[in-house]
Amino acid sequence: MADPEIILVFASNTEILNAEDHLEDKGLPFTLVPVPKEVNPNCGLAISLVESDHDLVLPALESAGLRPTSAYRRDGNDFSDWPLGH
Amino acid sequence: MIYFDNGATSYPKPPQVIDAVMAALSAPASPGRSGHAASLNASRSIHKARKHLAELFGLKDNSRLCFGPNVTWALNAALSGFGLKKGDHVLSGSLEHNSTARPLLRLKNELGLDWEIVPASNGRLLPLEFKKRLTSKTRLAVLNHASNVTGALAPAREIKEALGEVPLLLDAAQTAGSVVLDDAGDWVDLLAFTGHKGLLGPTGTGGLWIRPGLDLRPPAVGGSGSLSESLTHPDFLPDAMEAGTLNTHGLAGLAAGAEFILKKGVKSIRAHELELTKLFLDGCLRMPGLTLYGPGPEAEDRVAVVSLNLSGWSCSDLAAALERDHGILTRAGLHCAPLTHQQVGTYPGGSVRFSFGPFNAREEILTGVDALAELAAQKRR
Repeated sequence: MADPEIILVFASNTEILNAEDHLEDKGLPFTLVPVPKEVNPNCGLAISLVESDHDLVLPALESAGLRPTSAYRRDGNDFSDWPLGH
Repeated sequence: MIYFDNGATSYPKPPQVIDAVMAALSAPASPGRSGHAASLNASRSIHKARKHLAELFGLKDNSRLCFGPNVTWALNAALSGFGLKKGDHVLSGSLEHNSTARPLLRLKNELGLDWEIVPASNGRLLPLEFKKRLTSKTRLAVLNHASNVTGALAPAREIKEALGEVPLLLDAAQTAGSVVLDDAGDWVDLLAFTGHKGLLGPTGTGGLWIRPGLDLRPPAVGGSGSLSESLTHPDFLPDAMEAGTLNTHGLAGLAAGAEFILKKGVKSIRAHELELTKLFLDGCLRMPGLTLYGPGPEAEDRVAVVSLNLSGWSCSDLAAALERDHGILTRAGLHCAPLTHQQVGTYPGGSVRFSFGPFNAREEILTGVDALAELAAQKRR
């Protein structure tokens, strides 16, 4: 079974871009994606990662003071809340 | 052409700035709006400007650095958004530009603000003069970091120490990129800057940094690319202060300008500009009929801005002759700073301002001095 995708949503585009810089500096795996409209009607971006990398990515973000406002697990076209602090 | 009008806008711009603006103009630019790659690249280019400027100013949280069209926008946004009320006491220096003086006067007239101007002593602002004017109603102090007329650099950090808990709004129009401000995040409360002078970017760029704990009423509300589902404008920075699409092309250039400065080093730029200024002042000091306003050649508390008048010449005729006969570009008049000209005794006649930049050379300065000497001699014949 494929590793599920986790979508991290941030308060602002600036936070996303700071997160992008920070994760790139650390060489951690992630991609920037448009925020799925199923979870958030905003115009902005979100961070996508595979669930098994969350214990690398989330602490790295936390250490830079970057906290997602919400997170979702994607199963095909379905999204479910993914508890931060997972 | 010899360009001595860097106080108005810097010239030339580094080639990297021109390239960055051209590249931005050659691509779609909808930062923070769409999810496609071009929109993301536009966002990244603005973010680069935010990061570089945060490094230049020593700001830990770059999201509190908000972009707008110029320093006048920033000063107005700070003053009108601060929540000042009737009877509130606000201090300002006496070497302020109209970009501060006019919004303060408007607030005084419309709101009943108690605006008090702190006089300069021999052209310099003293921290003690601010301290002794503090009252229980003092809500804010506004300070032009360096005079755009005399070049006098205010002891801003010492003035902030004298102010204590009273917030300081620093107008860094003449100092950002030219004077080391890499610890501003530690002591400035509101930092207003423009992108097209010492930061070497295009016109139409500027911004305001707001220290954590201060909340301003946004000068405009509208599209932000965030919280699109809500009719209420976001309250988080920078989105709260950046309603509407930003000047992506200009900010791409500003990012390149700031990067250029970071590589070259503000200290190195400042040393060069002070050396040129000293050379110019040394050449002018003993010129018959020439009057200088502002700190002398040995002064360190100054920027590369010099105002002068020449006996027998109006400032406008002198500036015109400098351009016509010598190809030297300066600025004559009151420099949008009548308060300063009143302080130094050149109101309403004005002065001719020479302002040097990182790309001026010693030879140009010497040519400028020779030109002034020749024009001075014309009036003695």
